[in-house]
Amino acid sequence: MKRDSFLEQIGWLGAALGLALLLTVLVALPAGAPPFETIYVLFKGGLSSISKIGRVFSVWVPLTLCAVGLLLPFTARLWNIGVEGQVIMGAIFCTAALRPYDEGGMMQIAIAIGAGMLGGALWALLAGLLRVFGRVHEIFSGLGLNFVALGVTLWLIFGPWKRAGVASMSGTQPIDISLWLPKIGKLSVSWIGLALTITAIIAVYFLLHRTKWGLKLRAVGENPKAATLFALGPRRRLLQAFMICGACAGLAGATQVLGVYHRLLPAISSNYGYTALLVGMMASYRLGLVPFICLFFAILNVGSIQLPLQMGLDSSLSGVIQGVMVLSVFIIQGVRMWVREREEVD
Amino acid sequence: MIVLKDIHKHYGRVRANDGISLTLEPGHIYALVGENGAGKSTLMRVLAGHTRPTSGQIGINDKTISHLTPKLARKYGVGMLYQDPLDFPAMPIWENFQLGAPKRTKREVIDILGELSYRLDACFLPDETVSSLTVGERQLLELLRLLDLGATTLILDEPTTGITPEQKQDLFNLLMKLAREENHTIILVTHKLSEALEMADSILIMRQGALVSTLTPPYDENELVSLMFGEAAKGVVSELPEIPSPAPPPRLRMNDALFAGPKYSMGSLNFTARPGECIGLAGLDGSGQELFLRGLCGLDRMPGGTLELNGKTFRSNDFNVLRRAGVHFVPADRLGMALFPALSLMEHITLTFPDHNDDLGEFYKSQCVERFNLRADPDTQADELSGGNQQRLLLSLIPDNASLLLMEYPTRGLDAGSSRQVWNHLKDRCAKGASLIFFSPDLDDVLEHSHRIIVFYDRAIAAVVDRKDATMDVIGALMAGKTLAEIKEGQQ
Repeated sequence: MKRDSFLEQIGWLGAALGLALLLTVLVALPAGAPPFETIYVLFKGGLSSISKIGRVFSVWVPLTLCAVGLLLPFTARLWNIGVEGQVIMGAIFCTAALRPYDEGGMMQIAIAIGAGMLGGALWALLAGLLRVFGRVHEIFSGLGLNFVALGVTLWLIFGPWKRAGVASMSGTQPIDISLWLPKIGKLSVSWIGLALTITAIIAVYFLLHRTKWGLKLRAVGENPKAATLFALGPRRRLLQAFMICGACAGLAGATQVLGVYHRLLPAISSNYGYTALLVGMMASYRLGLVPFICLFFAILNVGSIQLPLQMGLDSSLSGVIQGVMVLSVFIIQGVRMWVREREEVD
Repeated sequence: MIVLKDIHKHYGRVRANDGISLTLEPGHIYALVGENGAGKSTLMRVLAGHTRPTSGQIGINDKTISHLTPKLARKYGVGMLYQDPLDFPAMPIWENFQLGAPKRTKREVIDILGELSYRLDACFLPDETVSSLTVGERQLLELLRLLDLGATTLILDEPTTGITPEQKQDLFNLLMKLAREENHTIILVTHKLSEALEMADSILIMRQGALVSTLTPPYDENELVSLMFGEAAKGVVSELPEIPSPAPPPRLRMNDALFAGPKYSMGSLNFTARPGECIGLAGLDGSGQELFLRGLCGLDRMPGGTLELNGKTFRSNDFNVLRRAGVHFVPADRLGMALFPALSLMEHITLTFPDHNDDLGEFYKSQCVERFNLRADPDTQADELSGGNQQRLLLSLIPDNASLLLMEYPTRGLDAGSSRQVWNHLKDRCAKGASLIFFSPDLDDVLEHSHRIIVFYDRAIAAVVDRKDATMDVIGALMAGKTLAEIKEGQQ
């Protein structure tokens, strides 16, 4: 297979961005939004002050955790669409672990983080077991489990874990400030979250590219039938990939509880799981690109808060732009394949 | 008359067709022979309009054009019969026959089908589905369809794969009739010399993208072989290894084994294989030989009976347990089942031999390069290897202590040199005490390389034939459903 040169790749990326810009303009115009101003406001809203950059990173942490976790099941050619539910389960387990404590310190935070990872991993294991032993496609089981996880959250918030006297969408009783993740100065991002995310990126890199486990996982994804012939234990391998991804997602859920909302909310996952799937697709599941695309999406996310304030537009426009970006990348990839095939034929 | 002039077809640096000129006359039967990868298929695709040549001219019906499209080819009466019939198994025969033809009512279609069948000694029930036909009948139907569309030049790509010797004879008689009585041009693409020698008015020989020679009768077989294979023809195939006597205890004993695959099951299998024995499986596609191998290695279930391997009894056939006990299965579909397409050679070795992870470079050299002559960079991906090298890689991945080798079509898609190397290696393993059970749709291979042949018919063992009794006629008749007793009666 012929690999494109670096310059060519940059060129294709530029084409994708150009197409995304064009499509955004086409989408924004009928909504009555001046397109370039909208884009300007979006980026300015995400980057114009240090505190906003802090907020961008507090979005980047859970998004990147989910996206790098997703690389593992994808290496085994599995679509862990249940990542969203795994974030929620992580948040639920994390909240549950903190309920006995009115206050605490690092010890309790560590326990809560561990519980979150466990919750995500177990929820992922469920989808994995259904896939491996029940022959339920992981997309269907994952989607189903997402709804179940959301249902469990709502039940907990309005049922057993409701605040004394009130039960509302605003969530459970906030945790004590001593249990919050320590912040960097006045920024909303925590150094623990950042450190854990960077650790996760490095760990996934080593797992996939430097260990035999990663090689076996790639082999399983490449050809499950041959993996059986090579006695690589494909089922076990798939379950492990699911669980590690679930643990990453659960960790993301825990940082949402401990570092951002300090309680359990119905919207605790902020759709980061689904967004991470988009990131993965856009990066064609290459680890090197994931953190940067996550950063880009985080900027859009934070910037979109400015849309209703400054322009009277709904903040969901940023979601539209994210979708358009992914779509453009796919269209350009399609064009690229077509051009290459043409070259090979003639 | 069709005249190809200086046809070139290049894929990147590969010259699939390198300046081919030839003339095809009506009423003639041509055999296009050559090894795999010699460029036969590319040339025929150019003629059928599926591939556009890089350069060159095609003269057809006194017109000269640079390339054909499928539509143009049909207009000029060129029809191609592919190795795997391009039909729709779930649809009834008459609808398949009607495909691509101008609009007609069902009654008209059935009339025409009946008329054509009568003329060519065939018989079809128009409302049956195509899936109820054998491969040979499906080919015949496709042939009738092409004739109905007005084909006067018929290209047949390896038409004898997967049919019985008897069906082959019928097909050849039909082709003879079409050429002699109706003045059609027939081009038979094949890698079997016997077919070319039997049928062709002239033999076109291709090698490495070029037309090296055109022979006319009387044929000299030795000349043909050396033109076709070049230097590679000069190697020697080793003899079948002697089975030590007195016979050692059996390697494998099947006691009333029952194998259940996804589509069918096979019961009461009793068979014994000795160390050093090469056992060939013969049978039409889907007669049971696939399930036999897959059941033996544990990929398909064994709900009843027992296996005895080197004296040890197994009540269930768990793949991993059998693998540790020395059973090694090599499927025919190399990239689909046996290898990891995007992993490199080195990674395959790493996965197979965890004990050698400290000296991988050294081990690769001794295992792949020196023992199997696998000359490729260790970083090459499996799907970038040639068929021969893929098979060499697979052979090099068989552990030395494997005592029962189960192989599907070991020489699928390999050229003469590579095939010989594969057989020599397998026989060498048998000489050292391993047992081999293999199947191949190529009956010549089965006859040549087996001590005993198990013939399958209708998803059961029809007979086990000793080498001394195994002839093409006997095996062919068994494959078609005759019993040994009937055959003996016929011989007397």
